[in-house]
Amino acid sequence: MRIVIIGSGVGGVSFAEKYRALQADAQITLITREDDGYYSRPLLSRGFSTDNIEQSIILKPFDKLRDENIDIISAAEVTAINRADRTVVVKRPDQESVLPYDKLILAQGSAAFIPPPFRPYRDLFFCLNNLVDLKKLRRFRQGFLDRNQRPAWGVIGGGLIGCEVASDLAVSGDPVTLYHAADRLMERQLVPEDSVTLLNIMQDSGVAVLLNQSVQGFSKQGDKVCVETGVSSPFDAVLVATGFKPRTELAVQAGLEIGRGIKVNQRLQTSDEHIYALGDVAELPNGKLYAFILPIRNQALWLAGFLAGQENKDWQPPVFNPKAKVHGFQAAHPYLF
Amino acid sequence: MSDFKKYQCSVCGHIYDEAEGDPDTGVQPGTRFEDIPDDWRCPECGAEKSAYQLMT
Repeated sequence: MRIVIIGSGVGGVSFAEKYRALQADAQITLITREDDGYYSRPLLSRGFSTDNIEQSIILKPFDKLRDENIDIISAAEVTAINRADRTVVVKRPDQESVLPYDKLILAQGSAAFIPPPFRPYRDLFFCLNNLVDLKKLRRFRQGFLDRNQRPAWGVIGGGLIGCEVASDLAVSGDPVTLYHAADRLMERQLVPEDSVTLLNIMQDSGVAVLLNQSVQGFSKQGDKVCVETGVSSPFDAVLVATGFKPRTELAVQAGLEIGRGIKVNQRLQTSDEHIYALGDVAELPNGKLYAFILPIRNQALWLAGFLAGQENKDWQPPVFNPKAKVHGFQAAHPYLF
Repeated sequence: MSDFKKYQCSVCGHIYDEAEGDPDTGVQPGTRFEDIPDDWRCPECGAEKSAYQLMT
């Protein structure tokens, strides 16, 4: 059995390791654009308050996975899926190759969602979606610390990631202003009462929280980047955290059925019987994307068992309780999902 | 007690700190890692207790 996996997040890696453990003679290839190894995505949210995170965030170097007899093609991009002959086209800086598969597992995760009005200004703001982004942000910030200064941050988006990042920057000692479009923080995950608690905790940690904000765009003024809301407010750096967008481009191009994510049935199978999807990119028949680490790992282990012939029931979402990594915040009610 | 240890989940990076325990899953502060029940799971990703490694 030749298995090809795209993506080295918790979905792709957990699947690869589990399937390897169940099927000693399978040929497993994992293709990833990443080049730093398998790292902890939840720890990205503590990326400023944790010293030495560039190293400590790595949970498993790719060579360790290679030792488990999983072929890792890193710093590579899959540019096409040819469903008719069951191959993928893999592009690396120095070469292009074609790889056959019996089963293809799509686990590319998601990119930061940038609202259309912000897109013309993409070079004026940061995002925090992966380790490459975090390293860029930390280098920028270190430039200020080296001069005994603190950068002033404008964070756009008071959802889960925006609140986590604003909180982490504030407890690390930087001045932070958080812009949110809705009238309360994390309105999609929290009941109103918990939004109030969160607001108080964010303010206590020094974050200036602005609700009901309509950010129209950004402008550059000297060294500063201005957030435009009708008035111009200057910051040393702006970080946009306005949600995520599943990486469905390849699947679209291959003609798979797509909704918000790649549509799968209760067995995580896409509209092509040889292609499966899991994690952020997979949209279940109930319309949900299980973009949290616990259900993603659960999907990965289930799918490995299923393809190894050890599962015959449908995948069922496990009980899970997501939790924002905001310093000092505990919700009194379960998160909405 | 100053000799509390920390353990890290090798799947998601969650840190179990013996000093803090994990009250949400019923593990009281000060609980030694070896005293946590074997069926305890990582509160973040659901990995088995055996996925944790001592941090040095």
